[in-house]
Amino acid sequence: MSATIEPTVNGVRRRLTVEDDDLLLDVLRQIGRTSVREGCGVGACGACTVLVSGRSVSSCLARAIRYDQAEITTADGLPEDDDVIEAFVEAGAMQCGYCIPGFVLMSHELLAENPQPSREEIADHLEGNICRCGTYPEILAAIESAARRRSQSGVPIGETT
Amino acid sequence: MAVFHRPGTLGEACALMAERGDAMVYGGGTAVQILEKQGVLFASDLVDISGIPGLANIEETSSGVRIGPMTTLRAVETSPLVRRVTPLAARVYGHVANPRVRNTASVGGNLAHGDYRLDPPTALLVLDATVELTSSGGTRTVPLREFFVDFQRTAVRPGEIITAVEIPRQDEAAGSWFAKLSSLSANDWPCASAAALVTGGRRFGRVARRIRLGLGAVAPTPVFTQVEVAADAGADEAVDAARQAAEPLIDPIPDVRGGVAFKRHLALVAVEEAVRLSWEERSDARGFFRDRRRRR
Ligand SMILES: Cc1cc2nc3c(=O)[nH]c(=O)nc-3n(C[C@H](O)[C@H](O)[C@H](O)COP(=O)(O)OP(=O)(O)OC[C@H]3O[C@@H](n4cnc5c(N)ncnc54)[C@H](O)[C@@H]3O)c2cc1C
Ligand code: FES
Ligand code: FES
Repeated sequence: MSATIEPTVNGVRRRLTVEDDDLLLDVLRQIGRTSVREGCGVGACGACTVLVSGRSVSSCLARAIRYDQAEITTADGLPEDDDVIEAFVEAGAMQCGYCIPGFVLMSHELLAENPQPSREEIADHLEGNICRCGTYPEILAAIESAARRRSQSGVPIGETT
Repeated sequence: MAVFHRPGTLGEACALMAERGDAMVYGGGTAVQILEKQGVLFASDLVDISGIPGLANIEETSSGVRIGPMTTLRAVETSPLVRRVTPLAARVYGHVANPRVRNTASVGGNLAHGDYRLDPPTALLVLDATVELTSSGGTRTVPLREFFVDFQRTAVRPGEIITAVEIPRQDEAAGSWFAKLSSLSANDWPCASAAALVTGGRRFGRVARRIRLGLGAVAPTPVFTQVEVAADAGADEAVDAARQAAEPLIDPIPDVRGGVAFKRHLALVAVEEAVRLSWEERSDARGFFRDRRRRR
């Protein structure tokens, strides 16, 4: 059966017709949000991460029909001067880049909850994100630098941009 | 393909579960979606209970906490109430999978999934939690210690929905720990896990101490045992007693995470770690609680 859902994706309200069993991953990619990617397809790698009201979700295990009225953020919807993305670029925290949108969104979730995470807390939060290029040291450094800069510039806790 | 229903009340959900041939509850969907992808979802109907108001609350009761079935694992892990009333439960929920799965997976779906390797049952066995089951025929309560009946089989009968999990207040002086040992990646399912709670015993009053143990991944179901040791026993004695009590329950299923002998060994290592750290954590042992940071 099909149904109409009206999620807000990156600040834009959408009206989408979906089948019962359509995955949020596929629906978002069909509307051009191709920073949402499929890796493992079973919740273990983080390539398909999206934020729903600020909380990370594996879109590969999510039925789109449950996301009517949801506030969804994908990495390509973050602003050009997003502080986490800037920190990733400056730290050279990417090779092929396939996994990076997921890491960026997980970092936003972490920093909103815990603005000054320890290295161990960062690693704990990213435990379900896999980078096949092995950029982990740079990713850890990028998140530490984003946290440092936020504390210096005084961005209020909970703000994602 | 299974028909997807989105009832707005518990009554409607129970009616759907009763009427439809092979109906399954759809909670967070993290397990169901994987079964579907693997082509082994044999349900005629899926009854999504996320639209039913009131099923995702955590409330304090006179005896502990009552957690609604649609509460996410992450909400339990991070709840100040759960952390205060039953810190062992909060800690163990925080060890499941990764934050994204915990943001979606539900407390009810986690137990009903029935997998022998699940983390939360280890703590809930130790803490003597109960599960409330509701169907069109009424409501009944099952102690968690009777919930896991066989490999991948739980006490949930056809037509029943888990509507609450109740966890008694954890004794404030008790020490507790959860050890999760993985043989593949750090956040993989455990190869062996153990939750321990050490209660009772005054140092000079010579009251025996009780060690409660919940084990995961080491037998076809999560398993529970308990043993008493003298109040003045040392950590080594406590560990020995716990290992002896656990040993007969260990009946590993060999797979990619290890063979029988390896898992048997790791199970006892998990028991030792959980008991030793619980023993040290008792508030009367050092007068303060150990740092509750997660350890891998
Ligand atoms: C990548 C990954 C890693 C994982 N690692 C771990 C781990 O390390 N430790 C661990 O413990 N678990 C792990 N899991 C399993 C995870 O805990 C379960 O998938 C999850 O808890 C299931 O909850 P759910 O709400 O998504 O269930 P669903 O998928 O909705 O349902 C699961 C089962 O429960 C039934 N059900 C759901 N809700 C109810 C209800 N209220 N009443 C009756 N029946 C119900 C369904 O019919 C189905 O049979 C992992 C999962 C993934 C995807
Ligand atoms: S594709 Fe969703 S977590 Fe890997
Ligand atoms: S940069 Fe290539 S997978 Fe991470």
